[in-house]
Amino acid sequence: MSVFKDYKKEIMDATHNDRIRVALSRAITSYRKNVDNALKRFPHTIKMAEEVREIKAKAAGDMEKLAQQACEVIEENNGKAYIAKTSQEALDIITGLVGKDKLIVKGKSMTGEEIGLREHLEEHGNEVYETDLGEFIIQKLGSRPMHILSPAIHVPREDVARLFSQIMKKDFPPESDIATLVGAARDFLREKYFQADIGMSGANVVSADTGTLFMIENEGNIRLATGAPPVHIALIGMEKLVPTLGDAFKVAEVSWRYANYTIPAYVSMVSGPSKTGDIEKVTTYGAHGPKEFHVIFMDDGRTELAKHPVLRQALYCLRCGGCLYECPVFAVTAGHFGDRYFAGVGAVWAAMVSKDMEKAASIAYTCLTCGRCKVRCPMKIDVPEMITELRKLIAESK
Amino acid sequence: MSKKTKELIPPGLAYLADNIISGHNILGVPKEQQAKWSKGLDLPRKGETIFFAGCGYQYSSELESLMSLIRKMDKSVIGSETPMRLAALPKKLGIDAAGIYRKIMAKSNDADAQTLRDAVGVLKSFGINFGYLAEEEPCCGAPLYFAGLQKEFAKNAREAYETLKSRGLKRIIGIVPSCTYALRDLFPLFIDGYDIEVKHFSEVIAENISSKKLKFPEEVKVTYHDPCQLARFLGLIEEPRQILRAIEGIELVEAEWTNGEWSTCCGGGGGFEAVFPELSQVLATNRAREMTATGARIIVTQCPGCIMQLKEGLKELKNGDVKVLDLAQVLAMATEA
Repeated sequence: MSVFKDYKKEIMDATHNDRIRVALSRAITSYRKNVDNALKRFPHTIKMAEEVREIKAKAAGDMEKLAQQACEVIEENNGKAYIAKTSQEALDIITGLVGKDKLIVKGKSMTGEEIGLREHLEEHGNEVYETDLGEFIIQKLGSRPMHILSPAIHVPREDVARLFSQIMKKDFPPESDIATLVGAARDFLREKYFQADIGMSGANVVSADTGTLFMIENEGNIRLATGAPPVHIALIGMEKLVPTLGDAFKVAEVSWRYANYTIPAYVSMVSGPSKTGDIEKVTTYGAHGPKEFHVIFMDDGRTELAKHPVLRQALYCLRCGGCLYECPVFAVTAGHFGDRYFAGVGAVWAAMVSKDMEKAASIAYTCLTCGRCKVRCPMKIDVPEMITELRKLIAESK
Repeated sequence: MSKKTKELIPPGLAYLADNIISGHNILGVPKEQQAKWSKGLDLPRKGETIFFAGCGYQYSSELESLMSLIRKMDKSVIGSETPMRLAALPKKLGIDAAGIYRKIMAKSNDADAQTLRDAVGVLKSFGINFGYLAEEEPCCGAPLYFAGLQKEFAKNAREAYETLKSRGLKRIIGIVPSCTYALRDLFPLFIDGYDIEVKHFSEVIAENISSKKLKFPEEVKVTYHDPCQLARFLGLIEEPRQILRAIEGIELVEAEWTNGEWSTCCGGGGGFEAVFPELSQVLATNRAREMTATGARIIVTQCPGCIMQLKEGLKELKNGDVKVLDLAQVLAMATEA
């Protein structure tokens, strides 16, 4: 029970942390208001979510085929594409591409988080900058993300001011307004985009027929990180693949809407390296954007997970994070209730992808099985059902 | 249970599960002590329709004492691994836990299970006929299912079904949400040809609500806390509200946002309080806060677990003005007046 004991201590420390409670109660209130407005403004989203569930459910069974197809198309587009069976394979491919002593700017990626990508690159002697503001804060705090979309959800502004004072050699008083802090991060990171050797990202959804990566964001950091450096490397979990561009648009719209955005500031669609034919109609690669475009599709337990009749629902997850705002445990513990991913889906991921049954058991028995997450979930992922199934696997494991 | 299993299932749940497997109720109460609540109610021991009392209400005061003990232990230095592993608990805690536990179990408390007597009275006043199996009532075994012990649950379910069928019954009126859910939705997953019709108390009353005039003894604002299993698992959201609205003197006020299918769990879901007693108390307090923000004087709900949790939450908030009542109790008060 020692994993459980440590985990329980972590959970209880979080429970007694007033900062987490305050930050989350603010976040929950605004999430509910925003998502309510977003769905009222675009009511077709609810019906579209049903359609997306079908798309995802079908795609989950076809991941290998879709990955193969996407790879072929990306190569046709003059990019390079790879399929990694395991997280180690993915890391090896990336290390091979990156080498060492490189400056890397990174967009936030849960798949990267899942395999410890940043730490891996740093261990190999590279300088890595997280560019998403929340992730940047987390990186500098030496902490780990506490929400899939808002990784620094548990850090109030006073703590950000203190942190920025330390790293930027400039004094930010605790009462600094948020705009000042946002501006400071912008100034600090600006030059890194243009000095960087490599930009890295994930993707929210990928269409297999065109090999197009959809990247949804508001800050503009992903645009810069994937546009300015000469090389773009994307690490993508195979569950992000859907058959067509039309499907991908639907997945993207449902994802951002349930992530409480009426309309996100940016959706980047990238299918290959930059190119021009403007001189004598000769296609030449490496115009203003990256000259090299590498995409790694990672399996790492996902195709196995797709074979499980109940737990495969975890693959439908759009990572909108809506469930987390509805979870009564998450409201007091934040991402401490989880592993690489959080709450119900996090438990399945720990068991089936990270293959850490003890961690999975700890998370699974922290779930109330109250089911409010399912009410929120656009994919109607039945977390109580998955958790009960997981507990069954745990109980029956010899 | 294998050793490995015992290691991964938190001790609190393993404890409840062991009780069900060996003693056929969640506390392992001996047979002769069961069904005491129904003494003097003169209910037939059989019938086509039976009232299913379950464990939660019957042993609510025992569970309450036990939980308060466990919470104390959970907050103590050696707490994190020991909750509910009572027999193995060393005395160095300074409290004789096993002794207290024996006392709790031996106690005969007539104030217990008032909800059950009220529910029976209310059903009768609506002219509904039913029996009660008393000591012969099988345990639904729901905590086994939620602990992941599905083989044990399935075995228990099949035995329970045989017991029920051998009494010739066709319909069950459930009162504890998790028993009702288990009997209605889980049993059929493990039993071929399951043919018992299961309804919850609130459904039965809601169907007959117009047949009777109901008046609460005072004018009062009440709010309703939806138990997870009743609202989200069984889909009974409108029924209790329909009942409350039909009672003269009661004004129903809803929690902002967190009502109906969006209701917040009391912190006792799926045996959670047995695994995380202290965290469970925090969640109970949060829910009590949402409920008292409505300005209601009474929180009405329909689950022994929720009642225990909400009372605990109010205690933590030091709010002595707000009461927690079961819908059956409210109905009983409205019927008498």
